[in-house]
Amino acid sequence: MAEEKTLNGLRVDQITGILDSMRDDPEVLKAVTGPWKSRVVWQGGFQAKAYMRKHVVQMDEPDGLDASDSAASAHEQLLSAVGSCLTVGYVLNATKRGVKVHDLEIALEGNFDNILKWAGHSKSGNPGYPSIKAKCFVRADADEKTLRELWQAAVDGSPVTQTVARPTEIITEFEKV
Amino acid sequence: MAQQKLFPVTVVGSWVRPEWLVQALRRRQQDEISAEEFNRIADDAVLAAIKYQEDAGVDIVADGEMRRDNFYSFVVEKLSGMRLMKLSQLLDYMKDRAGFEEILRALDVPAFAIKSPIAIERVREREEGVALDEAKFLSAHTHRQTKMPIPGPYLLTRSSWFEGLSDKAYPTREELAKDVVQILRREVKALKQIGIDFIQLDEPSLSQVVYGDEAEQTFMCAALGSRSDPTTELEFAVRLVNETVEGIDGVKFGVHVCRGNWSRKEDVLLSGNYGPLLPWLARMNVDQLVLEMATPRAGEIDVFKEYRNVKELGLGVANPRTDTVENPQEIVDRVKAVLKYFDPEKIYLNPDCGFGTFAERCVNTPATAYRKLQAISAAADMLRREYA
Repeated sequence: MAEEKTLNGLRVDQITGILDSMRDDPEVLKAVTGPWKSRVVWQGGFQAKAYMRKHVVQMDEPDGLDASDSAASAHEQLLSAVGSCLTVGYVLNATKRGVKVHDLEIALEGNFDNILKWAGHSKSGNPGYPSIKAKCFVRADADEKTLRELWQAAVDGSPVTQTVARPTEIITEFEKV
Repeated sequence: MAQQKLFPVTVVGSWVRPEWLVQALRRRQQDEISAEEFNRIADDAVLAAIKYQEDAGVDIVADGEMRRDNFYSFVVEKLSGMRLMKLSQLLDYMKDRAGFEEILRALDVPAFAIKSPIAIERVREREEGVALDEAKFLSAHTHRQTKMPIPGPYLLTRSSWFEGLSDKAYPTREELAKDVVQILRREVKALKQIGIDFIQLDEPSLSQVVYGDEAEQTFMCAALGSRSDPTTELEFAVRLVNETVEGIDGVKFGVHVCRGNWSRKEDVLLSGNYGPLLPWLARMNVDQLVLEMATPRAGEIDVFKEYRNVKELGLGVANPRTDTVENPQEIVDRVKAVLKYFDPEKIYLNPDCGFGTFAERCVNTPATAYRKLQAISAAADMLRREYA
């Protein structure tokens, strides 16, 4: 029996097969397209829990806001979500091209445009990040040109990054219970 | 040690690694080549480093630390019970991650690029001690006097003891320090035995104690574990250094302190004069203080006013991180300023630090490093003519 080839902790044939089936099998494509879901439940104070499939993520606010700082805040987790999605994309593209990645780290950073709007002191402007910096550090077995191409492919193909980078409609609803 | 001429020229330790050596080091770290195979490749690099130093007129030569990943992490190859861990692996155990994040951003480095030897079991020598193999090769390939830099006991203890990882083998870092001191004592006795002339204990983290921020865990050329208040730390360092060298005569001991040598960006390295450190350095029972003084970040020489001839001074007279080669006359003038506080026979000349503290982040080219050593030698000749 042929030995299963792994690269970057991924089974190469398996991942290639999955990517191909997304293209070839409408049912697979439908499954990975969504809907993706999260349910966020208030826990008191500024704390919340996000339930996603079988996973739970705690969220809180920094103690500078008189919160308990028991977990990262949502805006920090947004940065992390972008970074995590870019990480997945980089490793996926590297693996597809046969590049062994030894170390990969992404440092993200953002400044709010006008947080006074969140605080209720201002009615104009953007309370969110007008831009996010994401710097990729990588040590891998390929020349710099190849590694930069992988980074670009990760950025262009990242669902989370592209959601954040583009105008995305949030369809809100409300119900008093 | 042989009769010394005035103003001996020496180095702090590391030389610029050629790319082929870095490649071999990476292959060794990934276990793609054996230690023997790596050492055969590194032998050539050491010979080149020795040749550069000899040709430049260095009187007391080192092996360039060519076999080392950096000045202290290499001990994982030499000591059992140690594991080389990336800072990215230590993040899970860190108390002040936010503080560390600020440091990483200021340095603009990834956490995976910084590695530390962490004690995870009782630490013991594997075979030939810490640097004895390096020293034997050096001694066999030069007729000059020899210098071996080794990690100091405080650096090794502080960088190796990490709460959550080390406490099963060593409940406290003081317990680890006992073993570190004994290992280093055996090491320096063995180095002396084979005829090494000068043993330098590298203690760069001392500057972090007095100039660094308040973070318990931080980075100063090394990922550093917990620390107490500066006085407690410095007392600890003095005790460990003195326990390491106690009763061992017939070899010159130095302690090297600098403010960081991982970047050419001077603003990310620490600043401050030696004033806050000198009361403790003076109490270390070593012959020489090997100090960076060429960089303005090291402050003014007048801090030695109250410490005249306190020890020999390994005076840093060339900045290893610049492209500009120091003018010999400027070096002479700098030495003359120091002669206010030190007799001529107390002064050795060296660059501020190594040229390749980190194998993959060498701070200069071999050509410039060579010319800097030549400039120091030329200055030493000028001084000898004047003060002979």
